[in-house]
Amino acid sequence: MPGTESTGATSADLAHSGLLRTCREAALKTREKLDQLLSKEIPGYTSEDTSLVVFGSLARGEWTSGSDLDWTYLIDGGANSDHLVIAQNINEVLEKAGFQRPGPTETFGNMAFSHDLVHQIGGQNDTNKNTTQRILLLLESRAIGKRTDAYERVIRGVINRYLEEDNHLLTHDSKRYRVPRFLLNDIVRFWRTMAVDFASKQRDRAGKGWGLRNAKLRMSRKLIFASGLLVCFSAYLDPDLQTKISTDQKDGIKLTLLQHIRDCVRLTPLEILAKSMERYGVSQSIAKTLFDAYTEFLKLLSDDKSRTALENLRSSDSRTDPTFRQIREISTVFEGALDHIFFKNKLIEPLTRKYGVF
Amino acid sequence: MRRIGFSTGALARNDFRRALQMLTGKNVSAVELSALRQDELIPLVEQLDQLDLSPFKYVSFHAPSAMEQSFEPLALELLLQVAVRKWPIIVHPNAMYNPSEWRRLGNCLCIENMDKRKPIGQTAKDLAEIFETVPDASFCFDIGHARQVDPTMSEASAILHRFRDRIRQLHVSEVNTQSKHDPLSFESILAFHKVSHLVPADVPVILESKVQESEINGEIESALNALRVDNVLALTGD
Repeated sequence: MPGTESTGATSADLAHSGLLRTCREAALKTREKLDQLLSKEIPGYTSEDTSLVVFGSLARGEWTSGSDLDWTYLIDGGANSDHLVIAQNINEVLEKAGFQRPGPTETFGNMAFSHDLVHQIGGQNDTNKNTTQRILLLLESRAIGKRTDAYERVIRGVINRYLEEDNHLLTHDSKRYRVPRFLLNDIVRFWRTMAVDFASKQRDRAGKGWGLRNAKLRMSRKLIFASGLLVCFSAYLDPDLQTKISTDQKDGIKLTLLQHIRDCVRLTPLEILAKSMERYGVSQSIAKTLFDAYTEFLKLLSDDKSRTALENLRSSDSRTDPTFRQIREISTVFEGALDHIFFKNKLIEPLTRKYGVF
Repeated sequence: MRRIGFSTGALARNDFRRALQMLTGKNVSAVELSALRQDELIPLVEQLDQLDLSPFKYVSFHAPSAMEQSFEPLALELLLQVAVRKWPIIVHPNAMYNPSEWRRLGNCLCIENMDKRKPIGQTAKDLAEIFETVPDASFCFDIGHARQVDPTMSEASAILHRFRDRIRQLHVSEVNTQSKHDPLSFESILAFHKVSHLVPADVPVILESKVQESEINGEIESALNALRVDNVLALTGD
């Protein structure tokens, strides 16, 4: 598979080479363009209490010509009816500039409030939309513009909530952090929710868009899930983190882990995978296989003809469609590399078995 | 016993004499003379020799929180007169137009971390950049500002871990959503508890809470409670 140049490259190099680098640079440029556009059309569109947050390929650094723009106007402050006006203005400006609208579920393209994201984790009021916004905020989001205060506060607030509910953050001997189970369970739940919703959307939309959604589920959605697991596992595996354990106070223990998780999720999912593979001794050949497969996936999405073919593909034609056959081959290779990381690596495999299944 | 007291600006804005009177007979051993607004600086510096500061074991001086650029050279000359007394001079990083000039204050220059209204000086990363420009400066840790920037207190923890050795003074108050200083609420006391073990015990505390004279002792008690270190060992796994 083409896409990467050097066989002696590190995982980090692989994650930043060829088309992956091109898409990453395109994402950076688009985020800058977005800020310039909004600063011009809606001066002061963010504030100390509000942030514009983007998700999806733009946040993951995988921007291609056909990508849609998932965004939310995140509010962490007093209620103000003008917030809706600003969100509507943002919508209008983005549409005029030719950005693709977010999907029809209305999970994105409007306002989101910190209170629900922080307080409604689990329970009757944790809606599908709330879970999606919360997990994606953690695992694939970026704030646009210079004022990112609200974004930063909410991310930390969400991580803090997960850790608060875990009574025992350390192992018996207090020498290691445990895998933060509440957070991990929510990430697992989100992955399964996406898979279930895939079937639900197929029914709701009468099969429209099946091919592209299936491809994303096999690749980019699975990538988010894998990176989320690795962030949780890093609490137990990261040697640097363990050196920061002190015996002073429960709060100090929690804040150190909070900071660790915050730092982890500053990376894109591909970067998280690259870093984990290097740190846990996953072979270069597996890393290359994984990044090559992902490069092929982005190459297909970058190609208008292939993307359109996937968008129009119904499940009934999936076995004979040549584009989808490519997707199936790519995703099989991708999953094989993930299997290797999660089930063959001697550091990660025990954690997958302990936390990933039962 | 921790040295603790009030900012004169919190008690009586620019009427520092009135603030010092309010502190008479209270459980205070520290005071911060405050010239928060540009036009308060000259009168306060001129009056320093006339003030009775004998009740206080610790005195600091708060420079204007913002000033016109044209005022900066004069402000620095006046603050150099204060520095002769070896008092820490609390400075907001956004008030320094020419940081290299402020190096003249040596370690009397005491940089404060900022609230969420300010464009700089909120996080450990911001502060590291500032201390690169004024390497001898000490640090005034405003725990209320840090909580406003990040209510989980993880940023406060990061700041304390990184700059604990530079801390010369603590600012304590509740910083509300409008970035005004209020008396401590239970919510802020809970938050401050989370990092109290990282605050050096010998660092003087200056309260910035806006309180009436009758509330001074109660507010001091609340602050000491917020900074109390519980000897609770970390909970371990099952």
